[in-house]
Amino acid sequence: MQRIWAVVLSVWAMLAIVAVLAWTHPPAASPAPAAAAQTLVVKGANGKQQLVVVQPTAVGATHATTSTSGVVR
Amino acid sequence: MSARLERTTFRAVGTSCAAAVTAGPHDARFARAALAAARAEVAACEGALSRFDPASDLSRLNAAGGEWTAVDARLVEALRLAVRAREDTGGRFDPTVLPALVAAGYDRSFEQLFERPAARLTGWRAGAEIELDEAAGSARLEAGAAVDLGGIGKGYAAARALDAMREAWPMLPGGLVDLGGDLALWGDTPERGPWRIAVADPRRPGTNAGVLLLRSGGAATSGRDVRRFGPDRSLHHLIDPATGEPAAPGPLTVTVVAPDAAEAEAHATALAILPAAGATAHVAARPQLSALYIPHEGEPIPLGRPPLAETRFLVRAA
Repeated sequence: MQRIWAVVLSVWAMLAIVAVLAWTHPPAASPAPAAAAQTLVVKGANGKQQLVVVQPTAVGATHATTSTSGVVR
Repeated sequence: MSARLERTTFRAVGTSCAAAVTAGPHDARFARAALAAARAEVAACEGALSRFDPASDLSRLNAAGGEWTAVDARLVEALRLAVRAREDTGGRFDPTVLPALVAAGYDRSFEQLFERPAARLTGWRAGAEIELDEAAGSARLEAGAAVDLGGIGKGYAAARALDAMREAWPMLPGGLVDLGGDLALWGDTPERGPWRIAVADPRRPGTNAGVLLLRSGGAATSGRDVRRFGPDRSLHHLIDPATGEPAAPGPLTVTVVAPDAAEAEAHATALAILPAAGATAHVAARPQLSALYIPHEGEPIPLGRPPLAETRFLVRAA
């Protein structure tokens, strides 16, 4: 009988450890899938087909902007 | 606490400017010293290179009537780079276009310009001689010639200001200097990644045509979308040295990436007077350059593989 209780307790102890580990180590959020480039076939003005790649429009923070210099008034 | 971007903004060289450094939580004193050094260097460059300040070294040289003139070392160095850029661009960038610029009506600081028609340009030719004596710190222009460093000066000053920041803070992790959209940058960002530089879309103000990822070097944009003047704003400041008049062909804007900010600006000035085919050939012959050419109509054209992270236009497949 003692041996049965020991097995039951050890199983419960193991489950408790697994539960604590699961609670303290949440799975890392998977990054949002990057938008993939799309390949399109477009027809030019002369009727000729042309392959173009449409790049994704991801928006991220930038550190500076390059432009034609504006005039401070 | 993690690193963040310490930044200062100021007005100089007739436009809006900024300097920024990557700084840790205990770096505030170093960051302040570096940013102050950048501002001081930009002010010193403006004092030497501006053609709108009658007391500047450049104004004295332009008024010297072909005589040797003692000038600041910054002007000597900027002139040396300008002469080299004239050779590198096959004369498409020429610092001696000032008489043509003045004839076109761009004869004073842009904010002071008023509407008047262009004057007739007589007796001017491109490629005037510029002699330098770096040891003596002096320069001489061919008699009758005059120099404008508007197509290279901001890039040069940005690169000098970045060097000044690195001298003021030898352990500087990374920094950026932005003079009206002409940029010099180096090192790490606070995110320990490359600098993300937006390319403004001149056809959709307030939006970007793409984002460049850069670790070092320079980026500069030249175009005819902003600095227009004269009757009905019909004139622009991009002089074609071959004709001495505001260039007819060319993009709305062109952004150039190069190993050095002065080089980027000079080549942006050169590409800004070229049609798309000419610009393509220009960049193809210079592997250190890449560019984004935005025409008046149609899709922007990447030249020489610019390090674009994001675009919202069509890229023609190879």
